Amino acid sequence: MAKYEELDVRATGDLQDLEMADSQPEITIRRKGRGFQSGEQRGDGVHGSEFDKLSSVDSAAGRAQKSIEGWIVLITGVHEEATEEDISDKFADFGPIKDLHLNLDRRTGFVKGYALVEYDNFEEAQEAIKTMNGAKLLGQTLEVDFAFVKSANEDRGRRAGGAGGFTSRSRGGYGGRRSDRRSVSPSRR
Amino acid sequence: MPQDEFYCRYYSGHQGRYGHEFIEFEFHSDGRLRYANNSNYRNESLIKKEMNVSPLMLKELKRIIADSEITKEDDNKWPKKNSFGKQELEIRYGNEHVSFETAKIGSLVDVQDSGDPDGLRVFYYLVQDLKCLVFSLITLHWKIKPI
Repeated sequence: MAKYEELDVRATGDLQDLEMADSQPEITIRRKGRGFQSGEQRGDGVHGSEFDKLSSVDSAAGRAQKSIEGWIVLITGVHEEATEEDISDKFADFGPIKDLHLNLDRRTGFVKGYALVEYDNFEEAQEAIKTMNGAKLLGQTLEVDFAFVKSANEDRGRRAGGAGGFTSRSRGGYGGRRSDRRSVSPSRR
Repeated sequence: MPQDEFYCRYYSGHQGRYGHEFIEFEFHSDGRLRYANNSNYRNESLIKKEMNVSPLMLKELKRIIADSEITKEDDNKWPKKNSFGKQELEIRYGNEHVSFETAKIGSLVDVQDSGDPDGLRVFYYLVQDLKCLVFSLITLHWKIKPI
């Protein structure tokens, strides 16, 4: 905390801030914003602990994670003038669509560029991904994959064949948020 | 690689007669998405949900953030936090790291009346697009209404 306060991002007037992390090459990070000046730490938000999680029961699903009722497929590269019907026409071929979100750009009112589709079964979702990833819709190439995956720990446990369940980490924030903000060394996990 | 570093967090909240009421969510570069929502109104309790999104979902999130060009903006002329609360948006993307803090924005009138309507408008719409995405993910994954 005290260490952080030495680092006044606006003090020099320019936004260049040369970073030197221990035994890491020099990295220049441009920092901006009043948020860097407030030192408060909230323990009740995303930096807290004990979050609800869905854990996988289906090892045949590979890295995909089942949602509470079905399997959620993400479609990107969706044309801004595409309609829900365009999406459901294509994606109902693999199974009944239980739910569909085609969100709009709040500024333009056109489609933001992605859609989320729910199937009951893993096989339906997998078939949709296999067939539609790389397909075209209204002249644009789609990318299609599961929206949710198992946590990295869970996936490692699965691959190792062990019962490597998810272990909760209470450490929150970006790279050890308050105490060692100077350090920007990657992959501190 | 530092260029691959990514982090995105949004907070909106205030202290009021029902205590600390807020929503907050964050995405980590490994795909971990956390969502917390606290409202003590009518004795509703804290909601804390954690999910892991796929690389394609992260890629789309990064596209939305990059397209908005939010990291070119600066919050120094935006309305300061006040008794009605505040919003925070922290984004680390490549070599850019912004942590913006401003008052809650009721409508585009607040944006227009600010000292930097063009910049605040970018923030205003990006926040709405991010919330829209996160609420869809929570609704579909958990079959709950997030707020």
